[in-house]
Amino acid sequence: MGTETVATATPRRFAGTGRIVVYCGLAVGSLAAAAPFVWMLLASFMTRGETLRRVLAPESLQWSNYATAWREEEFGLYFANSLIIAALQVLGTLLFSSMAAYALARMKFRGRDVLFTIILATLMIPETVTMVPNFLTVAWLHQNSPIAWLNNWPALTVPFMVSAFSIFLLRQFMRGLPSELWDAARIDGAGHVRFLLQIVLPLCRAPLMTVGMFTFIGAWNSLGWPLLVTNTPAWRPISVALQKFVSEAGAEVQLQMAGAVIATLPVLVLYALIQREFTAGISASGLKG
Amino acid sequence: MKESTKEQLTAWALLSPTVVVLGLFGLFPIAYAVFVSLHAWRIKKGAFVGLEHYANALADGQLLNGFKVTVFYALGTIPLEIGLSLALAYLLFKALSGKGFFRVLYFLPYVTPMIATAVVYRSIFSAHPASPANRLGELFGYEPQRWLFESRSIVALLLEAFDVTSYPDWVNSAFPSLALVSIIVYNVWVYVGYDTVILLAGLSAIPKHYYEAAAIDGATGLQSFRHITLPLLSPALFFISLISFIGTFKAFNHIYIMRTAGARDTVDVVSVVIFDQVYQYHDAGNAATLALILFVVILILTVGQSRLLGRRVFYGD
Repeated sequence: MGTETVATATPRRFAGTGRIVVYCGLAVGSLAAAAPFVWMLLASFMTRGETLRRVLAPESLQWSNYATAWREEEFGLYFANSLIIAALQVLGTLLFSSMAAYALARMKFRGRDVLFTIILATLMIPETVTMVPNFLTVAWLHQNSPIAWLNNWPALTVPFMVSAFSIFLLRQFMRGLPSELWDAARIDGAGHVRFLLQIVLPLCRAPLMTVGMFTFIGAWNSLGWPLLVTNTPAWRPISVALQKFVSEAGAEVQLQMAGAVIATLPVLVLYALIQREFTAGISASGLKG
Repeated sequence: MKESTKEQLTAWALLSPTVVVLGLFGLFPIAYAVFVSLHAWRIKKGAFVGLEHYANALADGQLLNGFKVTVFYALGTIPLEIGLSLALAYLLFKALSGKGFFRVLYFLPYVTPMIATAVVYRSIFSAHPASPANRLGELFGYEPQRWLFESRSIVALLLEAFDVTSYPDWVNSAFPSLALVSIIVYNVWVYVGYDTVILLAGLSAIPKHYYEAAAIDGATGLQSFRHITLPLLSPALFFISLISFIGTFKAFNHIYIMRTAGARDTVDVVSVVIFDQVYQYHDAGNAATLALILFVVILILTVGQSRLLGRRVFYGD
């Protein structure tokens, strides 16, 4: 209590020159963070000649770059593929992870702690290690199950529908919910499943959004695995189109940048929609390791 | 009793998709990789070859080079990333207003898909004299560089800038190439915002009265930082260093996009070497072997890092 009275007397924040230093530092950081985006946007509207000369901004906006990039390499098809793959992964992860997280957080059953430890341990295994055997597994499933796995959605989505990280994040949140909720639900005659669907899930909005966003970004960025399990454009995602775009000889910068802008849009729109919940979820996940 | 049996059944029913998928694609692969690594395995399983793949892998320069590049990549990235994010988090913490704006802005590189930003950086660090990196250098009077297309090490380039043209070969092999340094710059750019948000949360959680007490005792700003901020921030710093360490060892997508023929094998981290084995040479046996070696190395390093840093972490009481 005593410290509080003193606290009002001590200056808590920098004043004057200190504040200028703070904002100068923050401005430099902002410039470094934003400059590549500015370049991406400006270059995406340039003519080929302008990208090769030392101009800073295009003389007139070349909207046609976007149309050209969209048509090239069947970009539109790859874009749609990525949307479907990401949506399936997000739906699967949200469903399966919240089921598992609920059981681990609020139910009593034998082997619970062992299972949770095993799930956490899989976080230590890098995707590079599982990639090769998983490719062989998927190739086996392709031949021995009624549905085609290679060059089809199962290989691209099923292995990513369960994520240890998502289960961990949701479980931490669900454990923090007051136990009175469950007592009240039980008095009303609700079982675990109804309690999960009607009470717990609506309360888990923020962590579910964080998990969904992470899954979406992961799916959108994935490049190595889709290259392995697809060899026709039918199911190849946008990452493959971009990689082909930059590695082929004679690639034009303004078209690459237009392609990059297109590939960025869905994720940025999602981020704008759920920005608050997402940053809060991330801060919380980092605090307790 | 009946009630608890029902709860057990419901719990396992809820967990069944997780157990099946995680078991098949998360745990089983480790055992399967061991099996595959002991066989000749192109498209189909071949003869049992014992430890031949392991002997080849350790004798072959490709894997060792892969580890060297990975270590350069990790050691170049992590200190830079943590130093910058600590500074930014501290400044953000001190800022009176505009916190939300800066936080969203710093976070942008992290949420933007890396496959897209890697494409952007490939053009920023292109060898063309009109590339943004070369134009920025020009402002400060530097010669145009080949950036992502440069296989020579940064030390070799520095020597050549001072007209030392004859130097031993190891000057190139003992230091990261300019191409790898360009990728490191990209990696730092992507993750600084994420680290900043986590460190800012850590800073905000430190009770104000610690600083006030220190101020009464006449502590300087630097002393408060050293004896209050750093120890109380150590869990967040530890978390970040562990995450970025594992991250650099797993890195693949953006490196694969920024890889150029000009850089030769100076940016080929282990994950790229493994991918080439299976994607280009269709050699699953060899790839599984390399992946298992990588796994063991990551395990040893993570445990070692936890032991080393974990002891210094202060979790409070």
